[in-house]
Amino acid sequence: MRRSRFPVAVTAAVLAFFYLPIIVLVANSFNPARFSSRWQGFSLVWYRRLFESPEVWQALKNTLIVAVAVTAISVVLGTLAAFALHRYAASRLQRVHYTLIYAPLVVPEILMGIGLLMAFVAAGVPLGLVTIILAHVTFCVSFVAMTVLGRLQDFDFSVVEAARDLGAGWGRIVRKVLVPMLMPGIAAGALLAFTLSVDDFVITFFVAGPGATTLPLRIYSMIKFGAPPMINALSTLLLAVTVTAVLASRRLSRSKR
Amino acid sequence: MSKRFGAVRAVDDVSLELKKGEFFSLLGPSGCGKTTMLRLAAGFEVPDAGRVFLDGRDITDLPPNKRPVNTVFQSYALFPHMTVRDNIAFGLTVAKRPKREVRDEVDRMLRLIRMEDQADKKPDQLSGGQRQRVAVARALVNRPRVLLLDEPLAALDLKLRQKMLIELDLVHDEVGITFLYVTHDQAEAMSLSDRIAVMDGGRIEQVGAPAEIYESPRTGFVAAFIGDTNFLEGRVRECPEADYCRLEIAGLGEAASFNDRQVRPEQAVVLSVRPEKIHIAHDRPEDAPRRNGFPAEVEDVIYLGASTKYWVRAGDHRVQVLRQHSRYFYDDRPIRWKDRVWIWWHADDGFMLEGVKSPQ
Amino acid sequence: MYHCGDLTPKQRAEWLVSLPTLAWLALFLVIPAALIFVLAFRPADPYGGIGAGWTLETVRALWAPSNLAIAVRTLWISLLTTAVCLVLAVPAGYTIARASEKWRNRLLMLVIVPFWTSFLVRVFAWRSLLHPEGPVKALLQAAGLAGPETTLLYNPAAVVLVMVYTFLPFTILPIYAAAEKFDFRIVEAARDLGARPFQAFRKVFLPGISQGLLTAFLVVFIPALGSYIIPDLVGGPSGEMLGSKIAQRVFTDRNLPHASALSAVLVLAVMAPLVAVLALQRKKKRADIIMGESP
Repeated sequence: MRRSRFPVAVTAAVLAFFYLPIIVLVANSFNPARFSSRWQGFSLVWYRRLFESPEVWQALKNTLIVAVAVTAISVVLGTLAAFALHRYAASRLQRVHYTLIYAPLVVPEILMGIGLLMAFVAAGVPLGLVTIILAHVTFCVSFVAMTVLGRLQDFDFSVVEAARDLGAGWGRIVRKVLVPMLMPGIAAGALLAFTLSVDDFVITFFVAGPGATTLPLRIYSMIKFGAPPMINALSTLLLAVTVTAVLASRRLSRSKR
Repeated sequence: MSKRFGAVRAVDDVSLELKKGEFFSLLGPSGCGKTTMLRLAAGFEVPDAGRVFLDGRDITDLPPNKRPVNTVFQSYALFPHMTVRDNIAFGLTVAKRPKREVRDEVDRMLRLIRMEDQADKKPDQLSGGQRQRVAVARALVNRPRVLLLDEPLAALDLKLRQKMLIELDLVHDEVGITFLYVTHDQAEAMSLSDRIAVMDGGRIEQVGAPAEIYESPRTGFVAAFIGDTNFLEGRVRECPEADYCRLEIAGLGEAASFNDRQVRPEQAVVLSVRPEKIHIAHDRPEDAPRRNGFPAEVEDVIYLGASTKYWVRAGDHRVQVLRQHSRYFYDDRPIRWKDRVWIWWHADDGFMLEGVKSPQ
Repeated sequence: MYHCGDLTPKQRAEWLVSLPTLAWLALFLVIPAALIFVLAFRPADPYGGIGAGWTLETVRALWAPSNLAIAVRTLWISLLTTAVCLVLAVPAGYTIARASEKWRNRLLMLVIVPFWTSFLVRVFAWRSLLHPEGPVKALLQAAGLAGPETTLLYNPAAVVLVMVYTFLPFTILPIYAAAEKFDFRIVEAARDLGARPFQAFRKVFLPGISQGLLTAFLVVFIPALGSYIIPDLVGGPSGEMLGSKIAQRVFTDRNLPHASALSAVLVLAVMAPLVAVLALQRKKKRADIIMGESP
């Protein structure tokens, strides 16, 4: 039976569709032309401009502050939540808990953004980095909880019983058995929270105050109000950083196995 | 026909012809190429070399949906989202046959497999045996010229397998079409088939009726794969008569054997003797022409219910002997562990395998 | 001995580990969600805040023809995007699931990698591609498919294109996951029984991956309904959607009650497909249970 080539052709077309814009973007970041897409020779001029822009550096700093804080808080909250969801799976409280944790995964971002904005305005909380952190944690918790929960569901709890059988107390079990065995899930959740926080625009846009500009907000205003070639350069750098980081983490997890 | 997957020759220059209406089995261990043969016949694979003919028509280039053959898959491959009725009707529906005819034909098949009252169930609500019957009905309803069955009983437990074996046989008698049956289970192949092809390593080792394959295997592989056997390596000493030779078995002694191989003196041979052909008793048997008798010591006794298997040491050889017992507890002189006994067999009951190394 | 009412020690432990997230989500998810509905009935004050008292004016204003047009457009853009995504994702998911293990991992990586770039950057990349001086227009003009006056940006088609680009991987992944679990021998069985390739695909493969199709539908359709950046950056006035209208009410008109009324509409629009799918699944499950009980 000869397989049809049609699906393969569609897949190839889809992959081309995925990569063409990115390739053009990377190429343009080395193009000194300001408006035209015609190639005018290789140049690093946009990268130099980018490094000389104080706004970009400030935005990067804000983004990292937010992302680190968000990751720390959501890892603790999310892991705890995952444990509760797994351990007491049958209870009514956990059904409510699960629905609440699931909601941010399906609710469109703009709804979370506007809801939070209204809550902050109604409560008189000044908008700034703190409100960004609070907002980001609200959706990052869900992603961490789901990732760790997935790990817990594959987790063989007879290991815990074995540890008890061998005389370990709960403190030792948590430190020596649970945390090390759940570490891959927790680490994956942390990575996810960090990435989502760094990349979030919509919710951030709603709850950020005047001084609290993160990198996506910066990019947005660059898109809206000029300076496109600098975005090409910035995007290329971001792409290089993420690809390197993900490849490194894959290599790391593979060598551990 | 040949078919290779990468470097693996799944089917290696094999030629096979089925007779109309016969029940033909492809028997062999997993990976021997039997399933590939079946898939070549069904049209799921295209041969690298060779052609497939049906009633003299070359169907090699026809896709599976245009071939008048149907398959019963190993996993049954029932459509999980359809009822039993819709599963059976599938072939007729895609052939756009009139609704009335489809209903009548499906009803006929449901009666044949005695599942009229299960017609509206989904496959996951059926037992293994029921699924198997639906799979057979789904294939047969299209009135194929050949029905291909890929290990259809492998997923069932022993009791059910025996029951389905009889049902398959009945169905074959009833519909009278050619069955090509793939299995690794020799008991299935033996009990159902008109003819069997034993395959190994992508090649056909032997084709023949079940008794022929069992009683006169042509290669060491066939002898060992079908039933149990003892392999005794030796050398031809002389062939005083046309039909019989005297062999020198290393580490045992002299034995007579029927010469169906046209061997010549000094040739290395392996003598194969089935355990149930060997007699065992405490007393030395009377000397008789063409009777091979040797003293032995019992090393293991394995009670099997209907029979008992004895492992005995004869010379340098460990020989297995199977004895059917009519009495067990009340046997006057039961054979026990460490007993000194005699074993013997008739020269006609061993067969020579030429030039093969014993696979044991 | 128990201080917390009638709670057993186990229940107390449960509350203890659940409370942090429950409290957090109550504060930052449930209250904001409720506020969306509440504020729609409050008047706006001229300084961009919320006035005192209650009014039905905002809700009544929702029925303005301009709002209805935007709602209808949001719906059809989302539906079209979802349809295009599914049509492309089914062959792609199928191909990945049927590839050898080595190729399967490579293809999955290839699908995921572009989405490590920032979402904004991806939208921006299309903005520059579709730009009047960008390469796509130059190509189309060279091929005689576009005149000098053709605008590729700032219309609903551009919105659909960029939305397909952003959502397609999220469609491919669930369909791949379903196709990977799918037993392709039943496609062989269908072919064996006389089905042509397309018949086998439609009658056996598509029903077999229905769960994946449903998930793919939800993960595209719901965020599509709430899209904001894409219509904002490539849609122009003729490509406005509910999401971009809400943002406009917040940031340009500084009218929170209007924004919250529109958001409430969006909430209901998002709930509809979710509830429908859940009800469908529950009904199916119940039917299966009833069927399963008969011997």
